[in-house]
Amino acid sequence: MSGEKAAVRAWTRKQSLLGRRAARPVILLGLLSPLCGVGQAWCIATLLGCALMSLSDGPVTACPSWPLYGFILFALIRAICMMGSDVAAAKSGINARQRLRNSVLHSILTGGPALLRNTHSGVLATTAVDRIEALDGFFARWIPASVLWMAAPLIILIPVYVVSPQAALVLGLCGLTVPFCQAIFGIGAAVASRNQFLAMTRLQARFLDRVKGIATIVLAGRTEDETRRLAGAAEELRLRTMKVLRVAFLSSASIDCAMVVALIVLATLTGAHALAQKEAGAHSLLEPMLRNGLFVLIVIPEFFAPLRSMALAYQDRAHAQGAATAILDLPDPVVPAVLPEGTRTVTANGVTVALDDVCFTWDPARGPALQNISFTVPAGETLILAGESGSGKSTIMELLLGFITPDSGRVLLNGAPLETLVPDSLCRMISWIGQKPVLFAGSLRDNVLFASPDADEESLQAALKAAAVDEFLPLLPNGLETMIGEGGFGLSGGQAQRIAIARAYLKNAPVLLLDEPTAHLDPLTEKSVFLSLQRLAAQKTVILATHSAAAHMLNGRRIDLQRGVIVSRQGAA
Amino acid sequence: MDQSSQNKNHTKYMLTPWQAVRHILALWHAQAARLVIGVVLALLALCLGFALMQTSGLRVAGTVLGSVLVTTSLLRWVGAGRVILRYAERLFAHDAMFRALASLRVWFFRSLADGAAAGLGFKRAGDMLSRLVSDIGTLDGLYLRILLPFACACLTVPTLLLVLGKHNMLLGGGVAVLFGCSAFLIPYLIAVSGRKEAEKLTRDLADLRIGVLDLVSGLREIRAFGADKRVLAHIRATDTVLLDGQMRLAKRAAKANALAYLLGQSAIFLVLAAVSGKLFLNITPLAGVGCLFLVTAAFESASTLTRAGLQAGAMGAAAQRVMDIATSEPHSHTTGTVLQEAPLHPSIHIENLYFRWSEDRPYVFKGLTLNIAAGSRVALLGPSGVGKSSLAALLLKAARPEYGQITFDGIDLATIETSSLRQRIAWLSQATHLFDDSIRANLLLGRPDATEDDLWRALEDAAVADVVRNLPEGLDTWLGEGGIKLSGGQGRRIALARTLLTQAPVLILDEPATGLDAQTEHDFLETLNKVTEGRTVILIAHRLTGVEKLDCIWRLSGGTAAVSLT
Repeated sequence: MSGEKAAVRAWTRKQSLLGRRAARPVILLGLLSPLCGVGQAWCIATLLGCALMSLSDGPVTACPSWPLYGFILFALIRAICMMGSDVAAAKSGINARQRLRNSVLHSILTGGPALLRNTHSGVLATTAVDRIEALDGFFARWIPASVLWMAAPLIILIPVYVVSPQAALVLGLCGLTVPFCQAIFGIGAAVASRNQFLAMTRLQARFLDRVKGIATIVLAGRTEDETRRLAGAAEELRLRTMKVLRVAFLSSASIDCAMVVALIVLATLTGAHALAQKEAGAHSLLEPMLRNGLFVLIVIPEFFAPLRSMALAYQDRAHAQGAATAILDLPDPVVPAVLPEGTRTVTANGVTVALDDVCFTWDPARGPALQNISFTVPAGETLILAGESGSGKSTIMELLLGFITPDSGRVLLNGAPLETLVPDSLCRMISWIGQKPVLFAGSLRDNVLFASPDADEESLQAALKAAAVDEFLPLLPNGLETMIGEGGFGLSGGQAQRIAIARAYLKNAPVLLLDEPTAHLDPLTEKSVFLSLQRLAAQKTVILATHSAAAHMLNGRRIDLQRGVIVSRQGAA
Repeated sequence: MDQSSQNKNHTKYMLTPWQAVRHILALWHAQAARLVIGVVLALLALCLGFALMQTSGLRVAGTVLGSVLVTTSLLRWVGAGRVILRYAERLFAHDAMFRALASLRVWFFRSLADGAAAGLGFKRAGDMLSRLVSDIGTLDGLYLRILLPFACACLTVPTLLLVLGKHNMLLGGGVAVLFGCSAFLIPYLIAVSGRKEAEKLTRDLADLRIGVLDLVSGLREIRAFGADKRVLAHIRATDTVLLDGQMRLAKRAAKANALAYLLGQSAIFLVLAAVSGKLFLNITPLAGVGCLFLVTAAFESASTLTRAGLQAGAMGAAAQRVMDIATSEPHSHTTGTVLQEAPLHPSIHIENLYFRWSEDRPYVFKGLTLNIAAGSRVALLGPSGVGKSSLAALLLKAARPEYGQITFDGIDLATIETSSLRQRIAWLSQATHLFDDSIRANLLLGRPDATEDDLWRALEDAAVADVVRNLPEGLDTWLGEGGIKLSGGQGRRIALARTLLTQAPVLILDEPATGLDAQTEHDFLETLNKVTEGRTVILIAHRLTGVEKLDCIWRLSGGTAAVSLT
């Protein structure tokens, strides 16, 4: 736990460093801007002080008009500063988010399908989209504010001190209470904000899961129940959000408080002084006295503004910590350009696949999924993995695909351990067809071309024909351009499986992994799918997990699995 | 075609942003009282804010005259009141808003469910998620950033006119016009001119979410086909489009902010000019001090509205996307006719049924006639794509026939109330979803009041009890997304157990024995015979093993059914 905290702190520190570099212009402009404010305050105070003197019974002097022009000039400079700082802040937020999103996506791809066993895809997507979007405040607001809240008030205090040391002391003291309150509220804010994001993530994952299975809910007549549960999640989000806001509002109220106290104390003090001067009849001193008093009063909001932005941005800092936890949960992104030593490529024609004494456990509490599995499939031959559902067939497939690595033992392709292969060349060697292929929303053509986007029309047509996709194309409203929905909506299971076979054709890899490719198909369709597979399997090394009787159409060795152990072998496996 | 819904042919009509916003405001009527109190508190806090600025200015200025115009205790009270009211107002208004958002999210889900008996169709889960989370989240600005500051601005205008106009009508008018520009005109112009861009940003964010979800849920395919770089490049492009849009918005925002600031400064300049007697304006210095402080405070609140103008477009677009769900669903309720309860144990009769999923698709059924007696056991056979699942969807009113009639005990299906119908029929389809929850919660979806024994019996009947018993956490094992923690066949049998658990008198089982080897399948079907005793069972299968005790076998082909008795 403390290790995790240290990691989070290290991550935040690293990001702060990067962010501060990018935020330099924002900080510079943020210092210039209050100085303009001070200038304006001086102009106003001079003007008002002079005008007010005309009310008193002393000698009347003509007021100068330079403060009016000065005021305009400062306003214009300040407007430009504000604009520049807004744009620069936005830019630094955008650059940081782009960089981080990239790295998170790389991490997800590095982790691969194994990530999905423990993390809902909704949570992963939230990390990559919303967590990162929420970081905008950290880079665009918090980082400049974390510097400015100290620097800007100090800069303002200098002219105030010159004008009235007493006022500077009062302002300084009131200002000092702010970080003190922030420290108290800040701890609560960080915890509350982390919980809020957690509630948000939970709501998202829950909703995504329910939406994917919405037909199941509606047909089971459970809409009301699920609605109530979603209402519960939404309510939790509200409560958590309110907790965050309560702390944030309290901390900004504490700043309000400090400011009002400063205002009242200074107004009373100046008033008392002025009265005393007046009593003493020191008319010549009254005007500067009045001007200084007004100046100090006008500058008060200016003094507290950076503190206020710091309080407002404080929850952005908590967001960064939350994001750090989520991002650190992901595996380190692999930079594809740098390869560990000893990686190699394996010749692409004729691949022998072997498992050597492989053990694998998904979850120690549930016992091993595979125990001491060894087999060899020579180039161009076929191995059938048989066994009931849950016996470990799919786990072997995942190992061969490199989605998971064995706890012990080796996976060998042409004698080379899988982990020493260049990822690209491994991918080029293996085609895979699963039980339920994932089809993306888009046209049928795009879905087939997914395997090889640069394939020419000729090879596309050949793949469609070999996979017998061309048989059902005429039934679809727009043939190859028919749009299909998420999850293959608009196609039957058999049709979807044929698309997957067409993909494998197009890819034309020397090793073919088939994971119950006909599990959901009727015997007739199954037979014709196997015919397609037979064509596809020619001259390839094939590993087929199935318990279909039609599997004999691909003749080869056979292994029977039971609870992760090989119980019988046929052929030379 | 499995599991498809009507490719909706209805002409899609889109609400204008303004209509959508009005609809949403109407949906918030339950929170109306809270929202109104929030506005009142905000106005009170604003008044005290004005009072505080004026009194503290007068306090100093008054000393010139040798008099105390404002007592210290008054100052103190106004100050304390201001701080407390401001805190209360913000807390209350935000709470009211988030209550309204929570209820909007619930409403959204219900509307979505209303039209989704046959699945999401061409809607994308990621897009729906984006609407529920980001779009509804954006709508908080409708109240907090537009309505509240607008109410405050409406109070500020007469205050400025009254207080400043008392001293000098011209000054009052000038400052009020400047304030009006800053609080109303500029935000309005910004909102109108930025609408397109804002709508685009909303869509871009949804696109990014869809892209990322595609990447995450297609991780296997992406890795297996080495599509990492391609998919990443695609998402990066989407991301760049989004961020570029955000940058353009930020630039506009920066300009608008600067403009609003300059308007505020012009107002202060007018007051200063009046104090020094320039520009035909003239007020007493004492009044000038009060006015100056008032104007400063007033324009601070106007700048909120300038920023709101920028976001108004986004809010309008978000409102449209949220309301779109409610308006795009054709309501399947036939209005006008009185709906009746489904018969308790119906005989089902289908007469000359014509059906296709959409007009551009071929007919699934052309004159289908079929009888299923109450309590009988029937098999529907035929190759995949012949319409077995379509028939189930029709029986559950997840789809509507184009022509022909389905009757339950002689009652037309169209006049049967949908929810009671779905209590009578339980369907294990190929697309039955396992939720990211415990095994127990997944089973209870079938019958919420089932006891522990009921659950185990159902698991037993579905031939999966041994698997569950061997899991360290038993019934409380977390299934993971789509049942990922179990193998495909095991997950399917959990779904079967859920179907068996329901007390529906009619069961439609689509390939219940998937994933079982020959011997287990044999045993399982024998068990099934026992546990479904007395219920109507419609078995959808590719082939028969001979173990099923069937009353009737229907073979589907060419859009019609032929009976072959056992």
